[in-house]
Amino acid sequence: MSGSIHIGLAALGAAIGVGLIGMGASSAVGRNPGAATPILVQAILAIAFAEAIVFYALYLAPK
Amino acid sequence: MCRFFPLLLIVIVAVLAAGGFATAALGAEPPHATAEEHHLPLKPEVLFEVGRFAVTNSMLVTWIVAIGIIVFAQAATRNIKAIPTGKQNFLEWLVESLYNFLQNIIGADLVRKTFWFFATLFIFILFVNWFGLLPGVGTIGWGHRLADGGFHLDRPLLRGGNADLNMTSAMAIMFFALWLFWAVQAQGFGGVLVHIFGPKGESKGLMKIAMIGIFFVVGILEVVSILFRPISLSFRLYGNVYAGETILASMSTMVPSLAWLIPIPFYFMELLVGLVQAMVFMLLTAVFTLLIAQHDPGHEAHH
Repeated sequence: MSGSIHIGLAALGAAIGVGLIGMGASSAVGRNPGAATPILVQAILAIAFAEAIVFYALYLAPK
Repeated sequence: MCRFFPLLLIVIVAVLAAGGFATAALGAEPPHATAEEHHLPLKPEVLFEVGRFAVTNSMLVTWIVAIGIIVFAQAATRNIKAIPTGKQNFLEWLVESLYNFLQNIIGADLVRKTFWFFATLFIFILFVNWFGLLPGVGTIGWGHRLADGGFHLDRPLLRGGNADLNMTSAMAIMFFALWLFWAVQAQGFGGVLVHIFGPKGESKGLMKIAMIGIFFVVGILEVVSILFRPISLSFRLYGNVYAGETILASMSTMVPSLAWLIPIPFYFMELLVGLVQAMVFMLLTAVFTLLIAQHDPGHEAHH
């Protein structure tokens, strides 16, 4: 098995970011279940931005 | 939440240190076996050409799914009843729940204007993703016999439609054009420029001039991030679906005697990923439209 270390690091960072966002979003919904829809929107947006880092790393990687 | 950060830092540092050893180990490994491994190719295979127009295996899948959706919608709405049953009931449930979901997020005015696009995106992406999981997609096609008696598939007949960057970027670019159209329709051409470059919040005198300068620079950053949206939209969907197919392929070749068992949990995960990615694509495009088409949040504070 082989791979690029910087893609791995980008994936690690994105995974931590997505995890933190998910944690924040679920505790926010726990505190205020009525605000679930706006929280979902915020969380999805933030997750999308965190996740995009991996794709930049993937496609900017020297082949 | 602050309690987690020291732990997190320790984990990161540990992984970085381990990474240093891993790169050293990887560097020592001879670069072989890459040509022999059967990797899922990054791009789809051309099946046949009509003039200069190449038809690829992923295009075939998108056509099959599109025809399937059209035929189903026609059959379900051929004879509409006041109390829906069967196909009509399913379609009404799907469309109505999507409509209510989007209405909660982007508001009643915008959803009336843009629902056709977002709902189509969601339904199409969802069924293209799930079609790619059917047995036979990616495993039936043309290939050649190997020297050891095995068989290598060169050109599969079908390939998951979103495992093709052309398809996902076509959807993203089309959204980008529509986004521009809806933005200009809602704000006017000058309104869009003000929305991007204009200062937000309220300030007086010298501060106001400084704010105009700062928000102009922020606007340039905003333009860059807007231009990156189609790229990240298309790469996100493509990356997720392609990675899923790669996982399924490598899981079923990992232990030959258990090839029927090991991929099963991953098939369930791919069902979930297909749904989530369709949802993410629809939600992101909807929220991007909302961000540009809604009126200033500072404006509403007065009411």
